[in-house]
Amino acid sequence: MFDGLALEPDEPGQARRVYYRVVYAILAIAIVGLLAGLVTGREVLGTIIYCGGAWIGSGITFLAPKLTDVPLQDERDTELYNRASGLTLGVLFVLGLSVIPAIYVLEAAGRIEPPPEVTGAILLASGLFLLWGVAYGIVKRR
Amino acid sequence: MENDLPRRREAAGLSQGELAEAVGVTRQTINAIERDRYDPSLDLAFKLAAHFECHIEDIFQPEENDDET
Repeated sequence: MFDGLALEPDEPGQARRVYYRVVYAILAIAIVGLLAGLVTGREVLGTIIYCGGAWIGSGITFLAPKLTDVPLQDERDTELYNRASGLTLGVLFVLGLSVIPAIYVLEAAGRIEPPPEVTGAILLASGLFLLWGVAYGIVKRR
Repeated sequence: MENDLPRRREAAGLSQGELAEAVGVTRQTINAIERDRYDPSLDLAFKLAAHFECHIEDIFQPEENDDET
């Protein structure tokens, strides 16, 4: 898909820009499609557009680097992603450690009754930490 | 990590993009290395050294305060 752009010295940069524009454009169309579906009452169509865009965008992100010699992403991109992911998890971990046990205890004691949104957020954060732990274990053993 | 990549690249008459293409990374990565904002992996350091036909330590030198960490 991007091989044809890699003929001149400055064209890998152009291929990289095209790659990112295509991915971001697809994701933008997906999000706009979802919002348009909500606004116009065509939620199913909006959801189909969103899911299609998300899958196509993710597929391109996953497959394009494997299908071309042009360095669409390199080790620095990976390190930046890893650092950003680590920072995000670190913030969530600190917030989670400081808040979630307290909410559990206060709820069990009948002092507070968290709204469903808070309960959902706690379950989501707990699932995220669990998933991270599993992923860490897998990566550590590979 | 300090490096003299800009001097070697310019002496070879290469742009950042050309060097990036030669070692299989993006121009932004070469730029970040030259500005001491990114330390390359050992694999990339070897590729750069091979490209300039020198040793890694000829290009990259630890900063003086690196020993204190």
